[in-house]
Amino acid sequence: MAELLLDPDIRVWVFLPIVVITFLVGIVRHYVSILLATQKRAELQQLQDSQVMIRARLLRENGHYLPRSSFVMRRHFFNNEETGYFKTQKRQAVSQNPMTDPSMMTEMLKGNITTVLPMIVIGGWINWTFSGFVTTKVPFPLTLRFKPMLQRGIELVSLDAAWVSSASWYFLNVFGLRSIYTLVLGENNAADQSQHLQDQMSGAAMAMPPDPKVAFKAEWEALEICEHRWALENVESILLGTQNPALEQPVS
Amino acid sequence: MYSLLVLPRGSAKQLLSPSRRYSAQKSTTSKRNRLTAGLTSTKTAQHTTATASARTLREARDQLRLWREENERRSLEVVDLWDTHLQSNIHKLGDERLLVWEQVCIAALDCNRIDVVDICLVSLANEFPSSMRVRKLQAMKLEALEKYDEALELLDQIIKRDETNAAPRKRRVAILKAKGKIVDAVKELNEYLKKFMSDQEAWQELCELYLLEQDYAKAAFCMEELVLHNPHNHLVHQRYADIKYTQGGLENIEVARAHYCLALKLNQNNMRALYGLLLAATNVSTMTKGLTAPKKKECSKLIAWASQQIRNRYEEAAGHSAEKELEALDSVLGALQISGLSA
Repeated sequence: MAELLLDPDIRVWVFLPIVVITFLVGIVRHYVSILLATQKRAELQQLQDSQVMIRARLLRENGHYLPRSSFVMRRHFFNNEETGYFKTQKRQAVSQNPMTDPSMMTEMLKGNITTVLPMIVIGGWINWTFSGFVTTKVPFPLTLRFKPMLQRGIELVSLDAAWVSSASWYFLNVFGLRSIYTLVLGENNAADQSQHLQDQMSGAAMAMPPDPKVAFKAEWEALEICEHRWALENVESILLGTQNPALEQPVS
Repeated sequence: MYSLLVLPRGSAKQLLSPSRRYSAQKSTTSKRNRLTAGLTSTKTAQHTTATASARTLREARDQLRLWREENERRSLEVVDLWDTHLQSNIHKLGDERLLVWEQVCIAALDCNRIDVVDICLVSLANEFPSSMRVRKLQAMKLEALEKYDEALELLDQIIKRDETNAAPRKRRVAILKAKGKIVDAVKELNEYLKKFMSDQEAWQELCELYLLEQDYAKAAFCMEELVLHNPHNHLVHQRYADIKYTQGGLENIEVARAHYCLALKLNQNNMRALYGLLLAATNVSTMTKGLTAPKKKECSKLIAWASQQIRNRYEEAAGHSAEKELEALDSVLGALQISGLSA
């Protein structure tokens, strides 16, 4: 197949503008999402629950440093059948449907406004304005299977798969500019679209606050089976044992 | 007052890195001379003053930043740095000036420099008219002026606005403590701890308050909570053992002995724990009633070991020549053991 020669105007008016536009859109998205973001207010109840969980976990992990009576006293406080904290504290189950919570709804709307909307608008506009250009070529041969990925918008059977169309170049930019954004905007910026896509895939279930009822039950179980073995049982002999050479030194 | 302010400055300098220390001393001494020379308004003198103050400004900023990061209060030094370097050049710090204002404000409250506090608070309030963090500082100023009721009112407002904010609740306890109402402070702090159960600072404060009330069992409970939070801190174990030893009774003293041992295991140079171990072991060995023979043997071993260790430490510190002091130490140790026996 004959070598194609691209017009340098394509570089100036298609290839570079796509890079610049995607980059600038990312930056604008970052600042818009900062403007729209609302500070999440933690509820006092939530805070209390998380602190209780931390305390119970610490008791499980470091409880063996305490004398037995102290450990049992604390476990009693958490686990006692009638008066234990985990038994008496009734938390209503977190509403399963996020649609019922209006604040959640606005939150989702904001997320959509900053992620999905520009993606559709800019993507559509780029497709419309820069459609049908062969913009660049990857410097290695590729098999035919890559054609739909790299040559979106150009249906040419005879074109070598290594050529990249303008629409595909836009998508490559959208997903490939992440490290540049971290460089310019710092970590955890909101410019990156691929991040948002991942969030939407997996995060829908995780974003909901964990159900305190379930967490309490799990912690109660863990505490219940937690056995107390005093870590300081033999500390005296260990101390003497390791220090014995010092003990045997002649008294001067 | 002046000498009081100057002293810590010397100690602050020692904290600078060795390479910087020299230049810091040089620049401060020369700066004084130049500052007076600068008033004569010769062009060269002004120029050198400007460069010198720029250098010291940067050093002052770095010093403050270091203290902020390490959570050191060092109020006298901070206020001193403010007076000498920062006050006139605060706008050169950029956004960091906000943090510096806050830091200096708290330091000035400690030193009762209300004039400095006012400067910081006015600047901060201009930047953030509705900030809760600034409100808290204003409440602290009222507190420093002993206008406790107004301070409480302001703190209540903050808590009403943001229930999850722990700082104003703690300030309420501090006010009660400052008024000397220890019992009320304990009550308030208990309420606070019901909500913020894993706040180490609060547990420590509650422990102190119970100690003031001589309620050792409850103080020990608070200390246990701290042990849970940092089981590898020898000071916490030593303090817990101190409280348990003070509480008395064979069981408690045995616990104290174990925790002294752990503190020593974690840090061999803890002298207080060494003395504590000596006393606790002596005490246990005197309570012969429930003691089996191997236990007693272990006790005497511990006593011997602890006194030997104490002796070694003193020898290291005093050098081998100080026979007299060691003799004095021996008599002290003997006295300690006897008093332990008689106790």
